[in-house]
Amino acid sequence: MESVLSLGLALILAPLFPGIILKVKARFAGKQGPPLLIKYFTLAKLLRKGSVYSTSTSFVFRLGPLVACASALTVLPFFPFAGIAPLFAFPGDVVVLFYLLGLGRFFTIVAALDTGSPFEGMGAAREAFFATLAEAAIFAVLILFSRLNGSFSLAGYFSGPQSISIAGPQGALLLLVIVALFMVLLTENSRVPVDDPATHLELTMIHEVMILDHSGPDLALIELGAFYKLFFYAALVASLLKPVAPMGPVADTLLFYGLLTLVYVVIGITESITARLKMDLVPKYILTSFALAFFAIILTLEIA
Amino acid sequence: MDILLTALCLILAGGLLPLGLTRWFGCARIVHVLLLTAGCLTGLYGLFLLGQQAALPSVSWSWLQVFPLSLSLDSLAAAFLLPIFLVVPIIALYGYHYLEKGGHAWRTVVHLFFFSLLIVAMVLVTLADTLMAFALAWELMSLASFFLVIFDYEHEENQRAGILYLLFTQAGALLIFAAFGLLFQATGSFAFAHWAQAPHSIKLAAFFLALIGFGSKAGVFPLHIWLPHAHPAAPSHVSALMSGVMIKMGIYGMLRLYFLLDDPAPVLAQTVLGLGMVSGVLGVVHALGKHDIKRLLAYHSIENIGIILIGCGLGMLGIASGNRTMAAFGFAGGMLHVLNHALFKSLLFMGAGAILQQTGMRHLDQLGGLIKTMPITGRTFLAGSVAISGLPPLNGFVSEFLIYYAAFQGLQSRGLDALLAIAAILALAIIGGLATGCFTKVVGIVFLGEPRRQPATAVTEAGAAMRAAMLLLALACLLIGLWPEPCIRFAFHGLRDLGPLVAVTPEMIGALPGHLALAAWLFLGLLLVLTVLRHLGYRAKPVTQSTTWGCGFTRPTSRIQYTGTSYAQDMVAFHQPFVRVQTAATPITKIFPGPTAYASHVEDLAEIGLQRLLVRPVLLVVDKLRWIQHGHIQLYIGYIVLTIAVLLLVV
Repeated sequence: MESVLSLGLALILAPLFPGIILKVKARFAGKQGPPLLIKYFTLAKLLRKGSVYSTSTSFVFRLGPLVACASALTVLPFFPFAGIAPLFAFPGDVVVLFYLLGLGRFFTIVAALDTGSPFEGMGAAREAFFATLAEAAIFAVLILFSRLNGSFSLAGYFSGPQSISIAGPQGALLLLVIVALFMVLLTENSRVPVDDPATHLELTMIHEVMILDHSGPDLALIELGAFYKLFFYAALVASLLKPVAPMGPVADTLLFYGLLTLVYVVIGITESITARLKMDLVPKYILTSFALAFFAIILTLEIA
Repeated sequence: MDILLTALCLILAGGLLPLGLTRWFGCARIVHVLLLTAGCLTGLYGLFLLGQQAALPSVSWSWLQVFPLSLSLDSLAAAFLLPIFLVVPIIALYGYHYLEKGGHAWRTVVHLFFFSLLIVAMVLVTLADTLMAFALAWELMSLASFFLVIFDYEHEENQRAGILYLLFTQAGALLIFAAFGLLFQATGSFAFAHWAQAPHSIKLAAFFLALIGFGSKAGVFPLHIWLPHAHPAAPSHVSALMSGVMIKMGIYGMLRLYFLLDDPAPVLAQTVLGLGMVSGVLGVVHALGKHDIKRLLAYHSIENIGIILIGCGLGMLGIASGNRTMAAFGFAGGMLHVLNHALFKSLLFMGAGAILQQTGMRHLDQLGGLIKTMPITGRTFLAGSVAISGLPPLNGFVSEFLIYYAAFQGLQSRGLDALLAIAAILALAIIGGLATGCFTKVVGIVFLGEPRRQPATAVTEAGAAMRAAMLLLALACLLIGLWPEPCIRFAFHGLRDLGPLVAVTPEMIGALPGHLALAAWLFLGLLLVLTVLRHLGYRAKPVTQSTTWGCGFTRPTSRIQYTGTSYAQDMVAFHQPFVRVQTAATPITKIFPGPTAYASHVEDLAEIGLQRLLVRPVLLVVDKLRWIQHGHIQLYIGYIVLTIAVLLLVV
């Protein structure tokens, strides 16, 4: 029962948090910023509209947003929000989940290439390249979690008595991992310094340019999938940040959402104070996060 | 065993009968397809029946009164026979419409004969139980496939590709027989079963020699050089057969030798794992840089062989360190990937063949928008691309998951084993990401968007038999992904007769197939719900068509689309010390630019290395010895007399 409530809460609240990022960025610029519920209004506005489809596209273009949103949604029932046992869990589910996100990425890319526009091709090429490096970084983090915990599923990592967090015995090691995961979060979710979600210049875009031709409910599906994906990665970081042992479902949930807000505020601060990287420096940025995670793995190895 | 021999006779008949029916070309082809299908179905039935027996069926006789020939079916052989019997009838069905050219009737029926001969040879390789049986079957396989590769022998590059292929198979066979010779000398027996008694150093030497031979057949980096030349040269269904099934005979040979020798030395595992990781990553990086669809698919075969070797290497590591779960899952993942790769690689080669037949264009950057004119080919190719990228819910993911599971088991060990497991996981992740990049490129550039160059004749969909074959394979990929239990059990069944170190208990497998199916069905269920919601969302909304948004461009053309070269440029350039990228471009110099050209090639370091380190020195030395061949016949007779004298005196 708790699992269902926790999942339902996550599904409903996920579009609330990107509003926090926009508020933080606006405050840094001395403005009031849009209301916190802006993303709900955006989704409602998109659902009221129709669509214009390009004559170059085929069924793949219409399938892309569906697969992207479905894959982001499938990931959430496996995540132990606030340390509460998730709806589904099995050994090896982390691999399935990250590959499902990869499936969403595959279809977003081919939907972009379907339009026959060079802008979408540009974004697709960059996305395919950077995602490969980000996969290596993510798997390095998963290797570290497995070595620390011995288990092989998200429920094993973040719920139960042996959950991994800075409150646990290897807390200092996890500071490296938190930074690495945060950098991967910025990469995978098209945040500054890797990508700029607010721009519409093709030279600076990766994700935004791939969805240029989508409109109406299709775009609403894409936006919703993006909110859930960002929520998933932020929840990973927030679960690691938990400073105390489990207290009880309600207290844990409040603490979890508080930490999640903190993560989003930090994303907003990062977006406000860093400039976007030159495109050829992005691989180095992602490899830095890989190196941090790998260093953390080395710290757990004893070469016999 | 009789059932399998009957199957072989049916398949051979399917090759011999068309030779007599050449005048009735269509009838000959139908007879070939029907007899091959009958033979393979009989073979499948035989596998099913014999697999339920506890005893190992075998048959033997002696050849030339000296050499014992013996065939026996154990679980490892069955695991490699299943892909053969499953995929061959579908490829034969595809070939019915692919080889339709009436003017080449004689060439085609001879080709069909060698096709059947190759199938028979591959089955015999899997069943062989003694040195001579294996050697005969292996040589037959190499020669039959050579004749299949040079079907279009008028083009010089096809001739050269065929000769390169022949050289590599003969050199590989040389090394394999050298290894077998070592083992024969150490144990004095032709039968495989007695070779476990050889001393340890002989076993290691034999394994490494044979690894080079089997590795070159399988397409392991750096012995893979023949693959990217032979696959584009051969007709597409032969490429599908070779890539899907024949190169797995190299893997079979390696595994059979490993389990025969029964030597848990860690160095074997480390070598195989290292070769697997290198092949996997470099295979896919080279594939990214290629423009020819079939060459690209050939490099992807190298990548998937790398994945299979990673699985087998992890299995060997599990045996060496005593971790049974790791051993079982590693080998099972490798063997299931053999089956999965046979399915989706054949599908992809069939699609490439259909594209080539309909458009006449091989270069990726000239194609585009084919999904509108070739809908079935496009959809099945998309399914094959998702499968080969190892993405759920299709079958490629199931075998990769088993290999990941084995690697994660190894993470808990100490020292070098843990490092190797970490390297394996990272290699698999990188391979998966790069494969996604490459296949989004192929699908996006070839099938989606607009055509970059108009083909000479209007493009229509491929023939009915070709479409049926591709649909069958695509459905098989989807079925295994959504219902993985039978295939996972089949993969673990393959380990049954391989000794106690890989003994599989039902608890090991547990509910794992059910979990994979759960994730796949959950995803599909959510996809269905979202489709319904989207349909409801669009109910009263205005939906119009227009051109693609051009950011203010008033004159967009199909030529300004992204090309495959531009798509892959960053990814290939990133791996620069391991691949060599050469670009040739004429720069734009004036304000009103004239025509320019740009070409980029990715060169294979292994090929360059082979040329510089082996071919050029050998040619230099041989050039110096040219004076021996001067043309005087009297002196040639003198050479013969001299040799006979030396042999009589010394030996």
